[in-house]
Amino acid sequence: MIMSSTSSNHVPDDVSCPESFGGFFETWLQEQERDLEELKAAMAHSESTRSLQDRVDRIMSHYEKYYRVKSESTKKDVLEMLTPSWRSHLEESFLWIGGWRPSTAFHLLYSLSGIHFEARFSELLRGLRTGVDLGDLSQSQLRRVDELQGQTIREERELTETLAAHQETVADTSMVELSHIATELMRDSNSQSSGRAGTDLVNERVESTLDTKEEKFKEILEKADDLRLRTLRNVVDILSPIQAVHFLIAAAELHLRVHEWGMKKDANAH
Amino acid sequence: MAGMCCGINVGENEPTSPVEPATRTARRRRMELRQIKFIAEIAETTTRLKRRKVEDLEAINNSPMCLQAARECESFITLNIPAGKIKESPPTVTALTTSEDLPTFGYTSVCGRRRDMEDSVTIRPSFYKKDNTKSHGGFHFYGVYDGHGCSHVAKRCKKRMHEIIKEEIEKKEDEIEWTETMSESFKLMDSEVGERSKNNAGPTTSTSCRCELQTPQCDAVGSTAVVSVVTPEKIVVSNCGDSRAVLCRKGVAIPLSSDHKPDRPDELNRIEEAGGRVIYWDGPRVLGMLAMSRAIGDNYLKPYVIPDPEVTITDRTSEDECLILASDGLWDVVSNETAVTVARMCLLNAEKSASPSRSPGNEAAEAARKESSDKACSDASVLLTKLALARQSADNVSVVVVDLRKGKL
Repeated sequence: MIMSSTSSNHVPDDVSCPESFGGFFETWLQEQERDLEELKAAMAHSESTRSLQDRVDRIMSHYEKYYRVKSESTKKDVLEMLTPSWRSHLEESFLWIGGWRPSTAFHLLYSLSGIHFEARFSELLRGLRTGVDLGDLSQSQLRRVDELQGQTIREERELTETLAAHQETVADTSMVELSHIATELMRDSNSQSSGRAGTDLVNERVESTLDTKEEKFKEILEKADDLRLRTLRNVVDILSPIQAVHFLIAAAELHLRVHEWGMKKDANAH
Repeated sequence: MAGMCCGINVGENEPTSPVEPATRTARRRRMELRQIKFIAEIAETTTRLKRRKVEDLEAINNSPMCLQAARECESFITLNIPAGKIKESPPTVTALTTSEDLPTFGYTSVCGRRRDMEDSVTIRPSFYKKDNTKSHGGFHFYGVYDGHGCSHVAKRCKKRMHEIIKEEIEKKEDEIEWTETMSESFKLMDSEVGERSKNNAGPTTSTSCRCELQTPQCDAVGSTAVVSVVTPEKIVVSNCGDSRAVLCRKGVAIPLSSDHKPDRPDELNRIEEAGGRVIYWDGPRVLGMLAMSRAIGDNYLKPYVIPDPEVTITDRTSEDECLILASDGLWDVVSNETAVTVARMCLLNAEKSASPSRSPGNEAAEAARKESSDKACSDASVLLTKLALARQSADNVSVVVVDLRKGKL
């Protein structure tokens, strides 16, 4: 049975990018909370595989929307997206290039699968296929997860390296030169001997240099977000619908609660 | 620590766990090569066992070994397959040998919660056969290697250890002195690794080998090695390091190797007599560095860390059920007894579900039985791996399960 699309949790696609990503983020979290409730209800009613698959697809399109809007915001202001003020300090500490670290998906999967496995250990030992959760992740699923993990860590490392190389350009020749000239200009202007034209020229150069830096940050962040979404999609694709629902529930719980705990901590700190 | 390479190959007879990053094309190419390799292998088997019946070959083909996604290491790409071989050995043999010739086994090897895959597994059924021996499938080889520092020593062991052991066996005239053969082989393996690091790399160096970039000498890299040669009469286990082999006999766990930990009293003595020290730094470590007292490689810790194996030779009995070889990713969180219980349950479950179709002499049933036994071993290795992950093993996990029950080799 396909539930009449309770699209309450889906802002229509044509909605224009909100003013600030922070605002969108808040709304999206509320939607995720509702998604979570729906998924839990679906589990409780032991819906058909087909129906569960529909739910999984909808959750995935909700994630896709998140990254679509995020990409728009990145194009507008990558620096804000790299230092997201809508995240708590706790979340920030766990961030990798402005979002969750892709390889954590596998830790989530292994942790969840481990909890299910222990709970059903005696059944699994008797050779029973329970098929209801992540405890009986099959041989081929395990192999595909492992392959995907290897690939994901490889891409994660490559991006980390790219970022490292880019961050080092903060001290490249043009930056060092410009910062020196700008400092000298300030001193000159204090002694009132600087020409206005010179200052403008330098400001222009500063702007264009920083623009290049930002462009590269955009490229890196877009790639990181692409890896995040792809990893999520690939993990879900390996799982059966009911397993995917379990996984998405755990992912939402973890995301929402860590955000909440972090916010509480921040509030208490002030 | 290199090689963001992770491998899980379940129930395959040519395990090649570490996998390089691969484009789709490269992977397809490897799969094709893998196919060729496999066909060649079957062809070779056929030549050797002229009397192997067709069903057996089908059993090989249909078993999980073939289903395994083919992800090959470079060795297969450079593999030289004599083109004529496949043609000149048609599998049209009739006759009587049963699938007793082929061992049943399964294995799983995953990266788990670590960021680097440093475990390697090698399985070679019938890796050595005496001439004129038609009556059995020869000796079977199983090896688990757990690398440290980087993965390249473990990879080298994966590629070479069984070849070296085979060469050493071939040198013997009649009776094989196993302890001597194994010790010699491990020493040769160790010096090969040492040579390679002195020459700084080699053609086999994989792109994922990070240590090469950092230290040209690569001296601070090594690997455990637990190796088992199963013959029709004996189970020979040769061990260096803290991977382990455990036999299940009549439901009882019998360890066939003893971990080489720096605080094992005799090992501690040996290290101190050689002038070394064991320092507690996150557990006992040789010179405060390596948490095992024997290993292949690790030139920087010689002579305290040695590549000499301890060898056990166990006569096979009708009460033997299975053999488990695994890296410490399993043993750190699962006891020998639990592991044996889990593996045994898997074999018994498969036995139960397969029994209706069982009738000796029926070749198809025999092939099916072999297949289900292979699957049972794979299931056991998967279950043990998942148990290790569930118990929060933080390491790579590699598990090999070999069915030793009567009538199987």
